[in-house]
Amino acid sequence: MSDILKGNFKTKTVVSVSQGDDPERLEDRFEREALKKLGGSIAFVRKKKVKWADKVDD
Amino acid sequence: MIYESEKKGGLARKLLDHMGQITQDRHGNLARANARANLARKGAGQSLAALRGQPVGAGERALVIAAGPSIRRQDTLRKVVENGFEGAIIATESAMRGCLLNGIIPDLVVTLDPHVTRIVRWFGDPALSESALADDDYFRRQEQDEAFASEMRANEEILRLLDEHGRGIKIALASSASDVVVSRVIDCGMDIYWWNPMLDDPDEPESITAGMMAENGWPCVNAGGNVGTAAWMMATEVLEKQTVALTGMDFGYYSDTAYKNTQYYTEAVALVGEDNLDSLFVRFDNPHYDAWFFTDPAYLWYRESFLELVADSDSKTVNCTEGGVLFGPGIDVFTLNEFLTATP
Repeated sequence: MSDILKGNFKTKTVVSVSQGDDPERLEDRFEREALKKLGGSIAFVRKKKVKWADKVDD
Repeated sequence: MIYESEKKGGLARKLLDHMGQITQDRHGNLARANARANLARKGAGQSLAALRGQPVGAGERALVIAAGPSIRRQDTLRKVVENGFEGAIIATESAMRGCLLNGIIPDLVVTLDPHVTRIVRWFGDPALSESALADDDYFRRQEQDEAFASEMRANEEILRLLDEHGRGIKIALASSASDVVVSRVIDCGMDIYWWNPMLDDPDEPESITAGMMAENGWPCVNAGGNVGTAAWMMATEVLEKQTVALTGMDFGYYSDTAYKNTQYYTEAVALVGEDNLDSLFVRFDNPHYDAWFFTDPAYLWYRESFLELVADSDSKTVNCTEGGVLFGPGIDVFTLNEFLTATP
């Protein structure tokens, strides 16, 4: 059983740990959420300036 | 875990290559959703295309006023008032209050960040409450505009200033702007020019930006990650000014600024912990002023993006910020007084 279920009690049902609950992946998810908050206001697109119209580029 | 190699700004440099994706994760969906919602307000303004090549401000020079800490430390707005400037004055929304307080009416204001609660503060938030302030100390912590440290008073002031002077001021209003920003802009009678900020390459198949253009018909502009660079793009690519000066474009902090007074302090502590904050800040010796400044991952990304854009620009760019980390190939550096008193 995973470390996350250690305790001084027994569960009524058998608990299996799915891939999605992998502690490492939770950490990755936390880091991604934390990193997101460090982002800028909007995108930067390389080698582009202005596109004036839907079809014709200037 | 912070490795030895990542201390002293190493983590910020590692993040640099990922800032585009990080920003997309942060704001991409929100920007897209705001653009869809703003379709209903299309009739409140014109397309930015109507502003292209228009005689905004006299002559071929423009002055961009952003809201970095140099604005206060270098007394930038007083210099503009004392010397006068006949060219186009293009202000970020964050610099608008300072401009209006000093009697400077911008020829064009620019806004783009889709944030739901923060950006409207630069316009004055009619619904601002003490409880909302208690939940977000973003403005209180920073040096961008000192008066924002006293937030309710500052909010009342900008509400009044825009109610008095806002009518008719041109604004390049990004489709990504939030509902509250758009409502405030409309309510105070600003002259709206709509545009789409590029969220990706509009010439690629399945481009989100191209989809936005197809829906609303507005041009798209590469904003370089932030409103200051967007204002520079308006000057160089939309108004087609030959010489564009920058003020308040620090993209960083003075060396005596405490980390807790930087924009992402709370988030940085959550990510790396108080003891490892050095890993997220990069220090620069600005050779033009023989002074040290430091910058965070977002500002570092803005700096690198700007240097790429300026390398491809037909206009001459002069940084008159008198500090900060924005210097390099393609950017001349003058004092603001030198620029303002030079013969056009």
